[in-house]
Amino acid sequence: MTSPRIKHVGLLLLILSTLVAIACRKQPPPPPPAAAVPAPAPTITLRAEPGTVERGQPITLQWEARNAASVQIEPGVGQVMATGNRQVNPTSSVTYTATATGPGGTATDTARVTVNGPPPPPTAAPPRAEPRVDISELFRRNVQDILFDYDKSDIRPDQVSRLQGNAAFLKDHPEVRFTIEGHADERGSQEYNLGLGDRRANAVKEFLTSQGGIQAGRINTVSYGEERQDCREQTEDCFQRNRRAHFTQN
Amino acid sequence: MKKHLLVLALVAAAMTCGNGLSARVQGPQIETGTSRGILGIKIAVPEFQPVSADEKTIQLTNLFNKVLWDDLEYSGVLTLVSRSFYPLGKFANPGDIKPEEWTIPAVDAQFVAFGNVRAGGGRVSVEARLWDMKSPQNREAIGKRYGSDETEEGARLIAHQFADAIVELIGGGIRGVSQTKLVYTSDRSGAKELYVMDYDGNDSHALTSYKSIVMTPAWSPDGEKIAFTSFRQGGANIEILSRIDRKPYNFVRQGGTTTTPMWSPDGSRIAYATSRDGSDTEIYVADWNGRNYKRLTVSKSVDISPVWNPRTGREIAFVSDRTGTAQIYIMDAEGTNVRRIINDGGTAVNPSWSPDGQHIAFAWQKSRTSYFDIYVHDLATGKNDQLTQSAGDNERPTWSPDGRHLAFESTRNGTSQIYSMLADGTKVRQLTQSGKNQGPAWSGYLGQ
Repeated sequence: MTSPRIKHVGLLLLILSTLVAIACRKQPPPPPPAAAVPAPAPTITLRAEPGTVERGQPITLQWEARNAASVQIEPGVGQVMATGNRQVNPTSSVTYTATATGPGGTATDTARVTVNGPPPPPTAAPPRAEPRVDISELFRRNVQDILFDYDKSDIRPDQVSRLQGNAAFLKDHPEVRFTIEGHADERGSQEYNLGLGDRRANAVKEFLTSQGGIQAGRINTVSYGEERQDCREQTEDCFQRNRRAHFTQN
Repeated sequence: MKKHLLVLALVAAAMTCGNGLSARVQGPQIETGTSRGILGIKIAVPEFQPVSADEKTIQLTNLFNKVLWDDLEYSGVLTLVSRSFYPLGKFANPGDIKPEEWTIPAVDAQFVAFGNVRAGGGRVSVEARLWDMKSPQNREAIGKRYGSDETEEGARLIAHQFADAIVELIGGGIRGVSQTKLVYTSDRSGAKELYVMDYDGNDSHALTSYKSIVMTPAWSPDGEKIAFTSFRQGGANIEILSRIDRKPYNFVRQGGTTTTPMWSPDGSRIAYATSRDGSDTEIYVADWNGRNYKRLTVSKSVDISPVWNPRTGREIAFVSDRTGTAQIYIMDAEGTNVRRIINDGGTAVNPSWSPDGQHIAFAWQKSRTSYFDIYVHDLATGKNDQLTQSAGDNERPTWSPDGRHLAFESTRNGTSQIYSMLADGTKVRQLTQSGKNQGPAWSGYLGQ
């Protein structure tokens, strides 16, 4: 009963694959250029507020693109929607470039940000000749919180350099054992946030061991879910500060 | 919801077929159940009378009257006739009741509960009667003398006992819940500790003083033990305490984040979530001391908040974000046959399985900008009924053992407090006041 059907299917497949083979060999000519009306050229504006900050303070990037199919902001932000804003924490002065690409061409705009304050710690081992420097003080100063998107636990592109900085410090101080605390903002269920914080802590641990060269045995992880908020206001800024992986020295 | 209660009424009626008393009320129960969600049998409760005029007797009588009225009012099976319609007089003894005065259209009470309160010598005693106005041959449905300590607790206890007896008789043989309790967390002392209170919010007292963080308490089915999440030894870990003497029971430390314990219906095992073996939490089942554990889920996602089907013990509902956002799934108790039950998007969390196994109450945030509300999912029809209306976040529903009530936490008045309501969303009452109160779990019947 079923064999004729199988034969049919087989035949069909044969015809299809032949067609595909022919199609592959003979690439159709490229489509004619788009209609006579040229596509409108994309435009983009990018703004950074404030333009000058002390090191560690956040900056808000704000952009608006028209006639763009894709918008890219570098360094560290990546692909974004046509219009939006994003908080960034550059560790040194930097020029952000937004690029809008569309059928009508490409447009870019830049925004310069000046970051005042001490330069980031040298990546080379600090001179051991200064025995008075307290390691826990160094830890607090150099190992920073890693921030996460709402309901997400993957390491954001804009957090990578910060996490690499943490890894460099921890590599230079192999005697330091530490705990990564995963935290969530207050939205969502407490139970689920406990699981989310757990996953954030483990995502950071995974980065440190696989890309940062840190031995897993030095790392403890713990999730506090939404139980230990860093900031108590009902604002997006505050929610963002709470969605974090925080490091403590054991 | 109306349909749920109708089904409940039918089940209740069926369950009590062997009980001669059920014939008394079977008819009206089903009729009224379709109209309002409350079975709605009409009862008059004239104030119980103090036998003497001393201050203590009057104080305990007033308290008894208030507690009895509230218990019956919130029972979900009765309609209390307003006292302004009652005949004039005092109704302390059988001779005081003239049935024809209670059955005129203005009152139209099928039942009258009445009696008197005596206090003295360290004891309080209540002579309590429930009369059926429609059964001249079999007038006295309940006639009983209750005794207890001459204290507020004693007067409360008697009121609860009498109310439960009335509810069991009129509500188709399902016991009232006025002697059940709720366990929850509160930060009223500073740190988040476990507290236990009566079902109406009274007599709240702390079970822990860890000065750490505790979360997600769950009652053992016999009501003797409470399993919960504790941060006392670092990260989230499961601990078990006796409710009676606060004696700790050992639950083997699992490692990773270990949380959301839930007892199996027979009390022998605990389902929970842990990240002991990986980078995210998965559902496990172990003996209730934490040994002989078995992993049930394998998913690169947060899997958490398991609850057993309390009727069969053969299925476990849980929360997972395997599709991107948190949703509720059911699997067989061996971890097989996983299926998602809420399919309309958003975030669905906090599953609580009804005692009859037919419904799952949960908290649903339909879009990222909306509040959480309590819904009840009907497993047979797949329908979701909304019980709360976005006044703040309404989360973590928990069923009463009679399946007629739900407690939950809500931020409707600012800080998170615990509330109870009937399972159709009516008769909401706030049970906690001070501090931030969360994560209620309703006990089963406590060995009364």
